[in-house]
Amino acid sequence: MDVKYVLAGLALVVLVTATGFTVDPHGERDVEPVSFDSTLTMGMTGVDVKEAEERNLSIPRAEVFFSQYEYVVGYYGIESTATHLRGPRTTEQFGEPIGVLVTDYAGTEPALNENGFLIERNSLGGGWVSAQSAVFVVDSRAKTPGGPAIVPFGERSAARSFAERYGGQVVDWGSVQSRSAERTSPATEMDRITANRSQWADRQVTATAGLRDRPVSVVVGEDTPTLAAAIERAPADTTVRLPPGTYDGNVTVDKPLTLTGAGPETHVRGDSEGTVLSVTAERVAVTDLRISGVGSTGARSFSDADGGDWDQFVRLAYGRGDSAIRFINGTGSLVAGVDIETRANGVLVRGGQGLVVRDSHIEGPPEWQDGFMGVLAMFDPVVVQNVTFEGGRDGVYTHRANGIVVRDSRMAGLRFGVHEMYTSGALIRNNTVRRASTGVIVMTRPRANVLRGNDVRASEAGLIVAGSASFVAENVVANNEVGLGMAAARSYVAHNTVVDNGIGIRADLLLPSLTVTGNDVVANDEQAEADMGPVRIWTADGRGNYWGRLPGVDADGDGTLDDSYRPTGAVDGALLRSEGSLPLRESPAMTLLRSVRDRLPGLRASGVVDTAPLTEPTRPNALARTNGSRP
Amino acid sequence: MSRARTALVVAQREFTTLLRTPTILVLALGFVVVVGGFVLAAGTGGYLPLVLDLVAPMEILVPLLAFAFGYRAIQSDADRGELETIQTYPLSRLSFVGGVFLGRLAGLLPVVLVALGLSAGAVVFTPGDAVSVVVRHGTVDAPVLFLRFVTLTVLFTAVALAVAVAVSAAARSGREALAIAVVLVIALVLGFDATIVAALSGGLIGPDALGTLTALSPNSAYRGLVYTLAVGDVYTRSAPTPSLLAGTAGLTLWFVGALGVAVARVWRE
Repeated sequence: MDVKYVLAGLALVVLVTATGFTVDPHGERDVEPVSFDSTLTMGMTGVDVKEAEERNLSIPRAEVFFSQYEYVVGYYGIESTATHLRGPRTTEQFGEPIGVLVTDYAGTEPALNENGFLIERNSLGGGWVSAQSAVFVVDSRAKTPGGPAIVPFGERSAARSFAERYGGQVVDWGSVQSRSAERTSPATEMDRITANRSQWADRQVTATAGLRDRPVSVVVGEDTPTLAAAIERAPADTTVRLPPGTYDGNVTVDKPLTLTGAGPETHVRGDSEGTVLSVTAERVAVTDLRISGVGSTGARSFSDADGGDWDQFVRLAYGRGDSAIRFINGTGSLVAGVDIETRANGVLVRGGQGLVVRDSHIEGPPEWQDGFMGVLAMFDPVVVQNVTFEGGRDGVYTHRANGIVVRDSRMAGLRFGVHEMYTSGALIRNNTVRRASTGVIVMTRPRANVLRGNDVRASEAGLIVAGSASFVAENVVANNEVGLGMAAARSYVAHNTVVDNGIGIRADLLLPSLTVTGNDVVANDEQAEADMGPVRIWTADGRGNYWGRLPGVDADGDGTLDDSYRPTGAVDGALLRSEGSLPLRESPAMTLLRSVRDRLPGLRASGVVDTAPLTEPTRPNALARTNGSRP
Repeated sequence: MSRARTALVVAQREFTTLLRTPTILVLALGFVVVVGGFVLAAGTGGYLPLVLDLVAPMEILVPLLAFAFGYRAIQSDADRGELETIQTYPLSRLSFVGGVFLGRLAGLLPVVLVALGLSAGAVVFTPGDAVSVVVRHGTVDAPVLFLRFVTLTVLFTAVALAVAVAVSAAARSGREALAIAVVLVIALVLGFDATIVAALSGGLIGPDALGTLTALSPNSAYRGLVYTLAVGDVYTRSAPTPSLLAGTAGLTLWFVGALGVAVARVWRE
């Protein structure tokens, strides 16, 4: 080989690589707006966005281009944009924003409709404007389904005239950002929601307890031959008593009555068609009896669902299913001490603020495909407390039941223990689920749900949470195929005990925005999984998670190891299982690798890094109970 | 024959010798495998992380490889008595040393470039993570940064090889060449920086002197240039980066100095 040509070739290559110095890599980048549908979307709930689309309301939006994150992030709401940009770990994970674009309302003739919602009278105008050069109208009367709206304008004059008509001040991007500065910590926020919902639920339980004290006006079998006749005869606000015996169901309660039996010996039996007890009045109580003979139609087929609202299907198909007890606008009603056997729904609540279902037992078919929902709550928050669900499809199914409380209940052998749809601000607390497809599943894009202190085992998945700004804490998930599946953005995952699952914690979002701290994640086949998106840092305020008794030192005695841990890594993942992993981990090669892999997480391939793994478990007692044999 | 022509003849001879040495080829292969493996293990997903990942391995492995390619280049000629024959040709010391350097560089550089090229390939063709429904945009990451890094690494390789050639000219025996080479590699990779750190913590020098001192160690000069030119303030943020002048001067000094030593020691005129 002739060295001349080799040298000439090398000179050429170096010439080419040297062109790198002629280009400025850090020069200003122009940020071009992209189609909002193809961004990773955050902010505002799915139901709010759907409602806005349905009613032609306008939502101010933003597109953010981060320096160390290759996907464009889209936001519904300017407030949520500012909050996320100033949030903890946003810069660490995504780098600085290279560009922030916001909806330009100048030229769209923005106005408020009769309900104060923001609308555009000229949808052809507008477009995008850089947040830096935009002005914003804050504290005006404008709102979106998600709450008060900050309205951005590309021209100051347009902003001024909007503020003159609808109130508020005109401010720049800097003040919008500093307004969002005061953040409460997620732990405080979670405690606030928990306390708020728990106290509300306590009040409903107390309020409905009085329904048991109504005077007895009619005794079925003594005063009237049938239950239907008794209901007919009893005056409002009295009790219809059902002594032990079997009574025909398929009746309607159309006034505030209390139907009380003598326990399981009182049996109200339907004719296996339709609903056994239909309630169309408020403050109705059904207590201490057994119900069976429910029809088998869980979801009704329907042909009249064309047009109408976006959730027409659920309202008509699910809301008219057969049920042991069906409430329509059953505000302040009570179901207690009831034993239900059903092939469709147990208790269907189509509207019923503060209705309470407690101390009951609802049994569905052993194959979930044959049954339907134990408690189906639509439109209003209800309280489900100390109820045992066996079999059937879902224990509790919610549809737009914001603020529902499900606590101290047991679900086993069904599809989902609790199934939340379009439901925000719910409290799912201290429930036990066994042998389910999923213990608690939160679908659609709600926000601020709290899943706390639940215990899910021997299921396909423990807790699966979608949406945003939600809280998953102090739960135990053990012996499931997947422990926690987190598809909720900007959510708080803390102090959970995750043991012996196929996959411990799975991060399902492309966007890394979870706060994962203080969890005890032990002896799962795969401790963590994050296949999509960049590397995630699962450490908050200097505290990571407990991944088992990892080797390493805690020189400063703060309870965290000095070396980072990568639960998704090949070597670290096998550290506590394979005896060859430790020497390999301590090799110079791995030391070198460790030193580089926490740098610029936004530009690295998938995986999870804990930069401060805990030396001791957060909840040793819970861990010992689930995992007595292994440390 | 002009100086350049004679240097090329020497370079051809050195290059052919390299190609006929199987151990060198095995070493080259090993280098490529180690660098490629490191990049794959680090899960690097962009050019900028790739640069950050590769600085440390490069500054350890490149001197090693350069010394393996060059530490006995001239000494083995002297050992076999060929150097005395060569001296009888109409050949200047500069042409001879220059030729040896170029010939060895022609073997060494492709190895380094192939390793870097494969690493970049791993970034470009990383499977998975292709979410086509979501729009991507340019981040601070850019291939330009990697091109700069490659150029700087080429310069560093040349400096390391020049030092190795100087060792081969200065050593009187194969054993001595090996000893000097080992000492120098350790000094480059650890010694200089460790001395500076020791001097700084011992109070012998102040922080103000660091800019100059670090430029005097080829490894630190190279590292400094990489952080200044190829990484930039995305990573360095508000830390002042070493000046271009000091780094370039440091590397040039080592390059010229090393070849100067080689020319002076190859034979007496």
